Order: sequence, then C-alpha cells, then structure tokens
Amino acid sequence: MKITVCIGSSCHIKGSRQVVEKLQELIGESAIGDSVELDGTFCMGKCQQGVCVTVDDTFYSVSPDNVNVFFDENVLKKVR
Amino acid sequence: MNNLCADIGWKSINHEGEQLCGDHIDIVEKDENSTVIVLADGLGSGVKASILSTLTSKIISTMLAEGISLEECVSTIAATLPICSVRGVAYSTFTIMHLIENARVELIQYDNPSVIFIRDGDLFDYPKQELSICEKKVLRSQIKLQEGDIMIAMSDGCPHAGIGLSYNFGWKWEDIAKFMRGMAIAGYSAKTLATMLVDECNKEYGYRPGDDASACVVKIRKREPMNILFGPPKNRDDCKRMMSLFFSKEGKHIVCGGTTSSIAADYLKKPLKVSLNFERSDVPPIANIEGVDLVTEGVITISKVIEYAKDALEDNILYEEWNFNRDGAALIARLLFEEATDINFYVGRAVNPAHQNPDLPINFNIKMNLVEELSACLKQMGKRIKISYF
Repeated sequence: MKITVCIGSSCHIKGSRQVVEKLQELIGESAIGDSVELDGTFCMGKCQQGVCVTVDDTFYSVSPDNVNVFFDENVLKKVR
Repeated sequence: MNNLCADIGWKSINHEGEQLCGDHIDIVEKDENSTVIVLADGLGSGVKASILSTLTSKIISTMLAEGISLEECVSTIAATLPICSVRGVAYSTFTIMHLIENARVELIQYDNPSVIFIRDGDLFDYPKQELSICEKKVLRSQIKLQEGDIMIAMSDGCPHAGIGLSYNFGWKWEDIAKFMRGMAIAGYSAKTLATMLVDECNKEYGYRPGDDASACVVKIRKREPMNILFGPPKNRDDCKRMMSLFFSKEGKHIVCGGTTSSIAADYLKKPLKVSLNFERSDVPPIANIEGVDLVTEGVITISKVIEYAKDALEDNILYEEWNFNRDGAALIARLLFEEATDINFYVGRAVNPAHQNPDLPINFNIKMNLVEELSACLKQMGKRIKISYF
C-alpha cells in the first residue's frame, strides 16, 4: 500500500507536516511499516480539499485533527 | 575586463550605551568594476564621532570616485571637519580600499589598524609606501588582485577588544589575522566574515563594547551565475520555451514551486522525488530532480529566504540558521547570498486557481511581490539581477 501526502504550499499551511509526522508515528506503532510506503508529493491540484492524501489511487481529504480516524479506517483495516 | 568581482560586507557595533556608531563605512561604485570603500573612525564615540566619520568617509569616497587626487581629498577633510571643543582637534582615521577594474587595489591607510590581506589562504605582507599629506603620515599600497584575495579593514575597536577582560592589551592584530585566516579558508562570504570578526570582538568585550568596532571585508572572487525558476508560465504553451531558456543558462539551477517542479521534471523526463524530511523547520521539505541543483516548494520557502535576506542586510543575527540548516530556505539562501554573483530569475505569472482562496495567505499578488522584494534585497547585497517574466 502506498500513502502519498501533499506537502505543497497550500497543504503545508493546512498542516501536512503534522499529518506526515502523525502517520509516521501511527505506522511505527502498529508495526505495519513493511507493507505501507509513505511518500510525499507536491501539489495535487486540489488545494481546497487539503491536506490532500492518496492511498494507492484513492483520494482523501485529511486534517491534523482526523488523521487517527483516517488511519484506522483507510489504512489499518485494509492492511490487516 | 576580467571575470572577477568584489564581494563586500561589513558590520559595526556601537560603544556600550551609544545609539550612534562612531565608525562609518561608505561604498561608492564608480562603475561596474571600480569601487571606492572607506572605513572611517571618528575621535571618541557617539554623535561627535559619528559626524566626523560620516563626513570623512563621504567626502573621500565621493571625491576619489570622481577621480580627484588623494592630496585634495585629505586637505578637504582637514578644512571641513568640525573641531572638537573638548579636545581641540578634528580627527578621524580612515582606511581606503580603492578597487580598480577589479584587477588591482590601492590601499590608503591613515592611523587605523593595518588592513589584513589574505592570499592563497596565507597572510600576505604587502609593501607599503609612506606618504606625507597635509602633515599626516599616510600609507599607500598598490596591489594586483587575484581570485581568492581577502582584505579586512577594521577600526581600532577590534584590536582593543577585551582590554582588561580577556586580554591585558586587547586582541592583538596578529591574533586577529590568524583568527580571520582560519575563517577565510572555510569560504564564507564577506558579510559573514565581517560578522564573525565583529561578533568575536563583542564577545571579548563581554558584550559591553568599550569602543565602536567595525570590520569591512572585501573578497575577490569569480563571477558565479545562478538561475532560479519560480512559478509556471501564464500560458501553458510557453512551458517548453521557458524551460529551454532556463536550462540552457550557465550556472546552477534552482526550481521553486510544486507545479513548477513538475513541469521541470516533465521537461527533463526525470522523476520528481519529494522528501518527507522536515528538518526541524517550518519550511516544507525539498525535492529532487536529476539535473536540477535544488528543488523546493515555492511561496513559503521564498518568504523565509526574504526574511533571511532582510536580516542579512541589517543585523545579520540569523546567519547561523541559514548557514547550517538543511531546509529549502537555508539552502537557497546559501546559494543566492554566498555563492551567486549574477542571478537570473525566470518568473512564471500563472495564477494557481487553488491559491485564489481567501482562506489562504497565498495569492498571485503576494507571489509577484515576493520576487520584487527578494530581487531588491539581492541587489542591495551587490548582486546583478535579471528578471524574465513568462
């Protein structure tokens, strides 16, 4: 599974840094680092919906507040 | 005409409790390659000293740049300087560094500590000829310049640093010269070198300077072109033209902006790899494209670079941050402030629809202002700037 987080200007302002750090932490805690690849990208062209995140090719709008929920539902469930 | 240029930087600190500096540095550019630099140190400190040194440096630099003889400059100063009511003398010492065609330098020194000359990483003891002008003993030297030469002029506040504190007789000239020689080898810019010297003096004074202390550093270096791409072109069809012009330029290439770097990656047919390394800073991570020297995010990174540039032109407090950090803004700052002498901006005027959101502190006008602001700062640093809009 490949998670890509936008770290372009707009998403950066909306907190992509916190999202990335939280995801790194969550991936570490749940020990799924072997099956998940976390990656960055510049602008996905959907700045209004930032922080833009894709899991494989599905688009999600994530914020620092709902990373946990996003991770549980869209990453953890699918990996396990 | 050669491909050398002069990187000039200076810094002063004031006598404790004084708002004005009694040292004054004046730089007059005669033309692109000839410059007159004067460091004057007025008698005493505070307002009086400031007036004396300002008058001295202004008069000398302006007159010499106009091609008037040194004798006339000195006699003009002698006739102009107001006489101190307490001490009964009009007095300001000075050091003149007159760069001619960036090929040779004429040093004229009157009572300031000798100019430290570093050549090929070693101290260079240049010949000095003693002249008597208006009964003043003045030293004159003519030196042919070569790449890497560094000249350090200072006021006596530097060798006086630490008297009675860390040293009995202050920071000896020989030790300052050795200190600067060590720093010079590391390849710092003139402004950084001047800052390091003056900061060290301030430290020796226990941060309570007993005299104004100034240093002015001139570093002779090769011209170094640098190219920076910022924003996609207004018309998408211009992408290829913009990229081919940008990448055909000599020198290093910096690409700023998310969309911009995708365009550059497409043009070079290389993948764009974004790093997730946040480098403990508030600037977004950098990216990598084979064939591009540096790829960064746009607006936030450039805003930070401008913050560094403004500081570098004023107090230069943040220089340790941009000299040692590894984030996009620090990397750009090092390339533009330290390495480059000629900077070509390739600015795209595309409006990013996603940024036209009132919630976001980014919009088209801000982007264009950033370019203006940054290029103004870089010009003040003595860089030659060209901006092309697309």
